[in-house]
Amino acid sequence: MIETLGTLGTVRVGLIVAFTLLGLFFSFVSMVGVLRLPDVYSRAHTASQADTLGAGFGLAAVALAVGWEGAGFKSVLLLFFIFVTNPTAAHAISRAAFEEGIVPWTEGDDRR
Amino acid sequence: MWWVADADDAGGPVTNDAGGPVTNDAGPTPRSTVVVPVEPSPTLRATVSHVAEAAADGEFDAIHFVEIASWRDGDPGSDDRSAEARRVLERVSAWAEADLDDADGDTGDDVTVVSALIGADEYLFGPEDYVEVLAEYAGEHGADTVVLDPEYTPVGNTTLLQPLEFALSNTSLSVRTAPVGRPTRPERLRSEATGVRFAAMFGLSLAFYFVLGDPLYWFDWVTGVATATIVSITLSRISFDADPAIPRTPQRLVRGAIYVPVLLYEIVVANLVVARVILDPRLPIDPTLNRVRVIVGSGLPLMTLANSITLTPGTLTVRARDSDLYVHSLLPWAREGLFDGSLERWTRFVYYGRSAARLPTPRERDDHAILQGPDATEELPIAAADGGATGDDAGPEAAADAESGTGDEGVTDA
Amino acid sequence: MTLVDATVVAGYTVGDFLLLAAAGFVVLAIGMLYRAVKGPTMQDRVLAVNVLGTNTVVILAILAAALSEPTFLDIALVYALLNFLMAIAISKFTVERGGVL
Repeated sequence: MIETLGTLGTVRVGLIVAFTLLGLFFSFVSMVGVLRLPDVYSRAHTASQADTLGAGFGLAAVALAVGWEGAGFKSVLLLFFIFVTNPTAAHAISRAAFEEGIVPWTEGDDRR
Repeated sequence: MWWVADADDAGGPVTNDAGGPVTNDAGPTPRSTVVVPVEPSPTLRATVSHVAEAAADGEFDAIHFVEIASWRDGDPGSDDRSAEARRVLERVSAWAEADLDDADGDTGDDVTVVSALIGADEYLFGPEDYVEVLAEYAGEHGADTVVLDPEYTPVGNTTLLQPLEFALSNTSLSVRTAPVGRPTRPERLRSEATGVRFAAMFGLSLAFYFVLGDPLYWFDWVTGVATATIVSITLSRISFDADPAIPRTPQRLVRGAIYVPVLLYEIVVANLVVARVILDPRLPIDPTLNRVRVIVGSGLPLMTLANSITLTPGTLTVRARDSDLYVHSLLPWAREGLFDGSLERWTRFVYYGRSAARLPTPRERDDHAILQGPDATEELPIAAADGGATGDDAGPEAAADAESGTGDEGVTDA
Repeated sequence: MTLVDATVVAGYTVGDFLLLAAAGFVVLAIGMLYRAVKGPTMQDRVLAVNVLGTNTVVILAILAAALSEPTFLDIALVYALLNFLMAIAISKFTVERGGVL
């Protein structure tokens, strides 16, 4: 069936697969980070960054899959929105932690 | 006794008082002359009080309030602007006189208050031009100190203040910023409602509505216009700091479009580095909290920079306090990158163009500090760090923070 | 919607592949749930729930593509908005004086 798509379609399918796998990989990194890292600040790193990139790749794959009609535009909008709000939310959370007086973990601290 | 001097008068401030500026007795301690650049700002009144108080305590024997003209005489509308500037100067001088009269200090009476409008005979561009004019004036009048209003924004450009401080510190003048509180956040979040802002907000929300809906269906027009009206009424005063202007706003959008691929590239590269560290079984991280002072102005540029820093892996903006960013870094590599200030440079490029991008980096300005670990150069500004109270008993630091209102990030992105 | 029906490998279509990816995201979300339950601080939980929410948004979007249900994208949009609001609101109200953002 892939022959009927033409070269452009094949490239698009390839990109969808690649983007989805990249999205899964970065979301996995984000999960490992949130589970492994020692304190709320360093967890916020992966939560805001790796996860944003993971979600970005996932949504880019979706945008490619649904095409450039209304729905594709919506997923691009969603992508943009996540790129703006995710770091802001991570900032708000880490700032709340800072205001509560949680001292960032450093080398040699035994709480993990 | 005070004078409003005319910039057109060649001889500087003209005295219309018998005594002239040298009325003070030669006191035992040599007191100095201070120059205060003024502009209408929310903290101007407090700055004037601070300077008057210092003078009453014997620190200064003459206060020169100067308004640096961002226009040139002969420009269309320059007369109106000069007149407006003189009104500000008169008001400031009157405040200073009143404060000096109120002060108990016995020296309060001999303090000379002078005001002048300077720099109107040429165009001033960067902070260097401002500093040059200011230093020239200070030299003419034997002033050796400059006190800056923390909200001083020449030409309405907030990014100028810090470069101004920086450039001033290279002259022989001693510089300090008046330690006065800023207005609380609710006042700062709300800006004036203008027709342009309303129209821009209306257009944006309607466009967003039609992206989700169908612009060819009449019912979507009815609901869309109604929604956009409600949104613009409630949010147009919060979403915009300044009116969208024709050359500036499209320029920023174009430069932003250049920035986005650069940022994406940085994000991907840095993400790979951090991914390797996180997936490493030994977890070789070395997290510290750092402070970096950035020159980007407040509001939307600061939010852009803080979010860019957060998006670039290894660095996370924990708090934005005025122009000090407290950034948590996961790796020394990310920390060094932060101090090199490439993101700061890009943000300045997006908002103010190429010339602003060339300002020195935080490392060159020495405006950075590590707050934790063996390399720490500054103390951690956190209550629990020094064994102080936490939680419901907020320390003085927290109270000061509540006052200073660090709501810079609250500006919405619309 | 021909693209979703295109074969990737061994008779499986793009739609199947996307469904599998969605399942992968669900597994990752479950991993994140551990941090949301364990904590130890309130901020850790909020953070974990926020990441969970982002994952949910991606899952919804992928399902929209895989099942050819474009309306799922609208739900994802609303979910993203609510997710952001949740993080901001909890950060604000768990701190004394609520000076966040």
